[in-house]
Amino acid sequence: MRAVDNDGKMTQVTDQTDARLLRRIMAGDEEAFAHVYRQKHPAIYRFALHMSGNAAVAEDVTQEVFMALIREPGRFDPAKGTLGGFLFGIARNHLRKRWERDRRLVPFTGDSEEMDDLISSSAASRNGNGHGPVASARDEFSSLETIGRVRQAISTLPGNYREVVVLCELEEMSYEEAASALGCPVGTVRSRLHRARAILVEKLCESRAARHAPAVDE
Amino acid sequence: MDCAQFEGIVHEIDRPGTEGFAFREAALAHAESCSRCARLMTQVESLDLGLRAFASHEAERQAPAHVGNELMEEFRRTKAAASRRRFRSQVVALATAAAVLLALGVSLRHRLMTGPSPAPARDLAGNHPSPAAPAGSAEPATTAARPDSEDSLTADNLASESADATAFVPLPYADDPSAADGGAVVRVVLSRPALASLGLPVTDMGATDRIPADIIVSEDGAPQAIRLVSQSSLDD
Repeated sequence: MRAVDNDGKMTQVTDQTDARLLRRIMAGDEEAFAHVYRQKHPAIYRFALHMSGNAAVAEDVTQEVFMALIREPGRFDPAKGTLGGFLFGIARNHLRKRWERDRRLVPFTGDSEEMDDLISSSAASRNGNGHGPVASARDEFSSLETIGRVRQAISTLPGNYREVVVLCELEEMSYEEAASALGCPVGTVRSRLHRARAILVEKLCESRAARHAPAVDE
Repeated sequence: MDCAQFEGIVHEIDRPGTEGFAFREAALAHAESCSRCARLMTQVESLDLGLRAFASHEAERQAPAHVGNELMEEFRRTKAAASRRRFRSQVVALATAAAVLLALGVSLRHRLMTGPSPAPARDLAGNHPSPAAPAGSAEPATTAARPDSEDSLTADNLASESADATAFVPLPYADDPSAADGGAVVRVVLSRPALASLGLPVTDMGATDRIPADIIVSEDGAPQAIRLVSQSSLDD
């Protein structure tokens, strides 16, 4: 297996099982911890971000998850699931605690500034590869619009539906991996995902219909 | 395949390893013949495209660098603290071992300087062991002599006291008969029930009464035999 660290340096990681990495972390191996962090933290951060809708909360949750790994690495039992599932479980518990403590969290809807940045960076790359500027800009905007609508639809899902969508659709986990992370049976994941996708289809159809409806001027 | 079955699997026909994926061809064939299911399939495909675009857009998101740096600092701090704890526990273990060795050395030196004690007056024969008694019930008397001090009872003063004391009785769990010849004698004060449990002839059982007694202790500190001492000799 190959991994690229933050400096772009290629490091060879051979047969690093979760249990072996955990043993090395418990023995104080800094490189093993850095490897686990590099490998696992983006998914944990994105999960916390999509579930909380708040980047600061996502940062805190990510930090708390890996703090737990530093302080109590022995809590992870390879017989009960993967390290990723274990870390997602911790993230989920922290998010729940936060929800109970602070119910003022708002869904993550993105902002116009971010959209502007994306459009300008896309335009810059477009100029470099010679595509027609007008058509590409239209496609790009349409794509960003779609992303915005999907994000909005996901953010309004009930929590237990949202987490299966985030894990199975955005993080591309299998039903089994998601079930391990959520601590529930595979059948529950499957049925929740089915229901969540049905809701998303409805929401996206509604939003598309609203977009195409003629504006009424008074 | 009917419409209900189609709706049951339509969301996973592109997910390998699922039931929907297994019936993909049948689902596609059904969608070709049913306009309602064909529309649903188009909506699901549209959702998939949207989700993929969203996932791809979010794929580069990760926690800011300061989070990783702080975690690495914490990891180093925790590692250093664990090393300090390990070092402290090793020092404590070494200090304990040194203290035990020192105590043994002092005890041995004292024994060599005082020489072996003659056998105390005793009658080890003809006494029957009784059920094991709790050794912890012995309470050293404040006036009792310690075997490793200047006031240790020797054969001489034991002999002088023999008139006021019964014969030594081996304890039920005594495992070192030779200790009776060379063991140290410790004076303790025991309750009557404790004495009775050691097999001594104690009458008029009063739980609160305290009886002085001499115990022969072997080199390893295990009690080997016991005798009663009259209260008057203790008062003297």
